[in-house]
Amino acid sequence: MKTFFLSDGDLDEFVTNLIAKSPVFAPVAKKTRFVFNQLESVEDLRLDYDTTILPPKKLFVPTKQDLVTFEHGKYEECLAPGKKILFGVHPYDIKAISMMDWIHEESNFDIYYHSNRKATTIIGSNVQNHYKKAFFGSVCKELKVMGHDMFLTKIADGYLVEVLTKKGDDLLPDGNFTDVSKEQIKNAADVNTKADENCPSKLKNTSLEIKHKIRMYYDSDVWKKKSENCFSCGSCNIVCPTCYCFDIQDEWALEPTSGKRYRRWDACLTCEFSEVSVQGGSENFREERAERFRHRIMRKTSFLNDKLGGPACVGCGRCSGTCTADIADPVSIINEIMEK
Amino acid sequence: MAKVKVAWFDFCCCEGCQIEMTNFGEPFLKLLELVEPVEFREAMSEKTTERINVSFIEGSFSREEDRVRLEEIRERSDVVVAYGACAVTGGINALKNHFEMDDYKEAVYGADKDMPHLDTQDAKPVSAAIKVDYAIPGCPIDKDEFLRVVTQLVHGTSKVYVPTYPVCLECKLRETVCRYDDGDHCMGQVALAGCGAPCPADGIPCEACRGFVENPNEKALEQVLQERGGLSAAWAKKKSQMFTANLRGDA
Ligand code: SF4
Ligand code: SF4
Ligand code: SF4
Ligand code: SF4
Ligand code: SF4
Repeated sequence: MKTFFLSDGDLDEFVTNLIAKSPVFAPVAKKTRFVFNQLESVEDLRLDYDTTILPPKKLFVPTKQDLVTFEHGKYEECLAPGKKILFGVHPYDIKAISMMDWIHEESNFDIYYHSNRKATTIIGSNVQNHYKKAFFGSVCKELKVMGHDMFLTKIADGYLVEVLTKKGDDLLPDGNFTDVSKEQIKNAADVNTKADENCPSKLKNTSLEIKHKIRMYYDSDVWKKKSENCFSCGSCNIVCPTCYCFDIQDEWALEPTSGKRYRRWDACLTCEFSEVSVQGGSENFREERAERFRHRIMRKTSFLNDKLGGPACVGCGRCSGTCTADIADPVSIINEIMEK
Repeated sequence: MAKVKVAWFDFCCCEGCQIEMTNFGEPFLKLLELVEPVEFREAMSEKTTERINVSFIEGSFSREEDRVRLEEIRERSDVVVAYGACAVTGGINALKNHFEMDDYKEAVYGADKDMPHLDTQDAKPVSAAIKVDYAIPGCPIDKDEFLRVVTQLVHGTSKVYVPTYPVCLECKLRETVCRYDDGDHCMGQVALAGCGAPCPADGIPCEACRGFVENPNEKALEQVLQERGGLSAAWAKKKSQMFTANLRGDA
């Protein structure tokens, strides 16, 4: 790893050079929230964002993605990964991306995901402002922040820049990177530790304790109670950086000779997610909303831990903030069960 | 390939969805190349009695005498598609269902309210009279959804996928700022998706014009409309009545 300093004044030039080189996707303001969008100018960049509505995963698996098109009996795969830069990713989202990297190759190598992922350079940045529901400081401590190419931490007068890979190295000519002092390195480490400590909400137990106890509560009536106001809307899945389920559909075009196969992000909290066809009819293997509600929490606290090396939740707080019924917050559910 | 014979019929409605279709422009003209319209009052005058492959029905079932006409259409058609809120849920017409029949008759027809040709009843979806194979809801319909479903039908897809989850999911997919995060209220949590959530994206609440999802959490909606949407208790209770008279738990 190489470490540099980039002054506040030099950030603009660096980002402007990047924009000139390839599309740069970064947090920009959208009314009261933020989203990862393609930057048109450095003025739109908001490294002070709290969190985005959707996670940056959307750049690797678009919310709706054509997989194959066909015409007159010939088909074509829709792989067109363009080089791009994902700028300003928070540490919790970087963790989630490394989970996604692995999940998209574990049983099947997802060429659509990985071709986009490979074409992307990821530049992380520290959390300057906390999302009201964030708890990343107390969850998934087992997993390291890794897989990114460069990381910026805001310190006095500029940024501490860590360069972690060859892809990161390749960007060095685009900015006026200068030497750092030991003190600046220490300051940056403090900034990141403080960001973890200052999360507005916290889990009180280790991942292992949580995993065991939540599993023990599989048959508890807590799920029914907690999910009473659930709309089965799936918003808590859609905004989650570690959710990865999708639905595939085939569709004809107007001309009866062509069409496409596409996939769309799916959500296990919706009723139709667990509907399967059985002998001409259909069957729902998670018919009750309490079962679906429980399933998500089990997935985030217990089911995937052994495979991932930690829980499939990075504490971004998006699910909690997006739930209009205000029942999706993993912290309140987990802490309530842990206190029992 | 033989052209698919299609027909349009209208019942109690504003015919806005038919107009919406004639607004489609090029994709609709393309669709017309694949089908042969045999009956379409808004755009042509001939009427037929021949067999129809796909019938599109607009408008709600709000007079007992319409039952016979609907049954005839069912009889003549291979596939029946109800389109527009009126046909699918009773739509805005069903607002009257919240009142006593005598009251709404008097309010609309005054002294003539008991004349036999003005006979009426609660507005019901077409499916209350006959079997409906596909429903394309919305007030008015979403033209992309209409084209998508009809395209699959005329190309012979045996079961066309339509979503059953709430509008919120589509709203999130397009990364709209939630109305609740913008100091407003919304009913997308109980509204049936398929429209692509255009209203919140335009900064206005979802009014559930497509009707409720199958198991709407009405109690939770009432609570959220009050606690987060700032509506009064009475208004929160009534808020979702506009398009859902035939779908409500409290009806
Ligand atoms: S928990 Fe909340 S966000 Fe998730 S499906 Fe239920 S109502 Fe929707
Ligand atoms: S479960 Fe919630 S807090 Fe955890 S990663 Fe997903 S959206 Fe973030
Ligand atoms: S929580 Fe549900 S939607 Fe998310 S990845 Fe797991 S099963 Fe899929
Ligand atoms: S704006 Fe409405 S439809 Fe969109 S997420 Fe919020 S409640 Fe749901
Ligand atoms: S967002 Fe709601 S009101 Fe708007 S078209 Fe869709 S269902 Fe109708």
